[in-house]
Amino acid sequence: MQGNSSRRGSVASLAAGSGSALPALLLVGLFFIVPVVALLLRSVTDPEPGLQNYAALFGSGTYVRVFLNTFLVAAVVTAVTILVAFPVAWMLAIMPPAFGSVVFGIIILSMWTNLLTRTYAWMVLLQRTGVINRTLMGLGIIQEPLPLINNLTGVTIGMVYIMLPFMILPLVGTLRAIDPMTLRAAALCGASPFQAFRRILLPLSLPGIAAGGLMVFVMSLGYFVTPALLGGTSNMMLAEMIAQTVRSLLNWGLGSAAAFVLLVITMALYALQLRLVGARRTGGGA
Amino acid sequence: MKLILTGLLAGLLAATAARADEMVFTSWGGTTQEAQTKSWAAPFEASSGIKVLQDGPTDYGKLKAMVDAKNVTWDVVDVEMDFAIKAAKDGLLEPIDFTVVPKADLDPRFSNDHAVGSFYYSFVLAWNKGAVSGEPASWADMFDTKKFPGKRTFYKWSAPGVIEIALLADGVPADKLYPLDLDRAFKKLDTIKSDIVWWGGGAESQQLVASGEAAFGQLWNGRVFALQQDGTDVGVSWNQNLTAADVLVVPKGAKNKDNAMKFLATATSPTGQAKFAEASGYAPINTKAKGEMPAEVVKGLPDAHVDGQINLDMNYWAEHRDEIATRWYAWQTK
Repeated sequence: MQGNSSRRGSVASLAAGSGSALPALLLVGLFFIVPVVALLLRSVTDPEPGLQNYAALFGSGTYVRVFLNTFLVAAVVTAVTILVAFPVAWMLAIMPPAFGSVVFGIIILSMWTNLLTRTYAWMVLLQRTGVINRTLMGLGIIQEPLPLINNLTGVTIGMVYIMLPFMILPLVGTLRAIDPMTLRAAALCGASPFQAFRRILLPLSLPGIAAGGLMVFVMSLGYFVTPALLGGTSNMMLAEMIAQTVRSLLNWGLGSAAAFVLLVITMALYALQLRLVGARRTGGGA
Repeated sequence: MKLILTGLLAGLLAATAARADEMVFTSWGGTTQEAQTKSWAAPFEASSGIKVLQDGPTDYGKLKAMVDAKNVTWDVVDVEMDFAIKAAKDGLLEPIDFTVVPKADLDPRFSNDHAVGSFYYSFVLAWNKGAVSGEPASWADMFDTKKFPGKRTFYKWSAPGVIEIALLADGVPADKLYPLDLDRAFKKLDTIKSDIVWWGGGAESQQLVASGEAAFGQLWNGRVFALQQDGTDVGVSWNQNLTAADVLVVPKGAKNKDNAMKFLATATSPTGQAKFAEASGYAPINTKAKGEMPAEVVKGLPDAHVDGQINLDMNYWAEHRDEIATRWYAWQTK
């Protein structure tokens, strides 16, 4: 009896807790679940019931290529973002707080600027007649303009720039939670700076890297504006391909199928991440 | 309760959408839609008292979704003619009410039961004189990377134009273009693929050429006209210019259909067409319009360059739209 009543108590408190979450759940249900279900339905009913859209999707060399390319771009962007973000996050973590908040402000500020504006700014910088190429040619470092735009380089630069805050923020949290004394202890035990990084700092910051990396990867998978403006057609990403399928071919069924497959893959990745890293994260500060 | 709410909501929606004194016009934005607003919407508002709300850009997927969902918020839409032919076949368009829209003077090439011409244009070869040495004279020059090195720009989407250009450059005579030999066209395009920067919209094509990013390419003549008006030093070759048309359509189930038909009458009138041509550099689809235009403007229009002009075959494209697009995107993403 006693156990039963205590369980009822916890159920009651759970219900009370979920009550306050109701508005959020409603919002997600209304604006996420319902459209996704509609998307799924459309992919198996348009133009007629059946799996023909999925057959067309996987049977089309174009779509398969665009899928692979989308993952390639997302992976490259994630890797570069981690490499760039780590030193920044580390610097932020060990900086005096007053200084740190200024740098933090600068990073956050970039997120407040319109995405399209920032992407256009990169076009101005990166194009053949742009600032970077003109400067390098003026200095005599290069003779021909470097191909920095309408290719993978352009997409990577533009997207890494946009993704950086999403990597830096979780990383700083993790790095701040690491006791600096552990590094000093490593040094006292004779570890070189690289060894200390490799064997102490890196493993301890892994949860932050994983959390930020996943966020960046997943966001990159669905990106539209930046790849469309800074990339070329030979590395077209899925979002743009779907837009074309719907807009120009009026093929809502195929477009829906492609979007749904991307969603399933993304969720699978998330589940995998939870299994691999979730358990280890329990003690982390991030 | 739920029923009442739904009813209320539907009533509200209907009340806001179908006001007798307004309608929505959708076009492609940029300098073209500005000219349409100035030449058609403004005088129409003044004479009829019907307010014309501007929306855009035109999006065929959206148009279909609206018709499918029976919630059509666009009343008149500017679309490409090959799309209009296909959309009419698919039942997406209202028939034009020719008791309201006078038909007699409309160029029959660009009007049918479900569409009236908006304007017609040519794809021309344009180049930035400051950034290109020499004068490209034909489409073949755009495929000659030795004579004209550097990036060149073409229209990004699967649409009448680029395939024909490739075939012409490869030596196909103008009267033998159709049916299109896609294999041959893509093989020709392969030879310059890495030198192509694609433009997705008119403003982008202007920016690419004006900045010298891609110093020459295939542009809509109206966009070249606008660049020249702005004082950019742009050369243009009308050799084998390719005509195509935009048409105005009324999506099936448009909420302000009657207003839409009245608007079409104004837009296709000699005066409306003359004003638009003057503002945009695109050619009028009303045969009487030229009488109302300054001779200077008439000289710069596509129909002053009929020598060697080629009409892109809209019916062929309407029929093979999907098949060509599939090949197009497969090639482009390779």
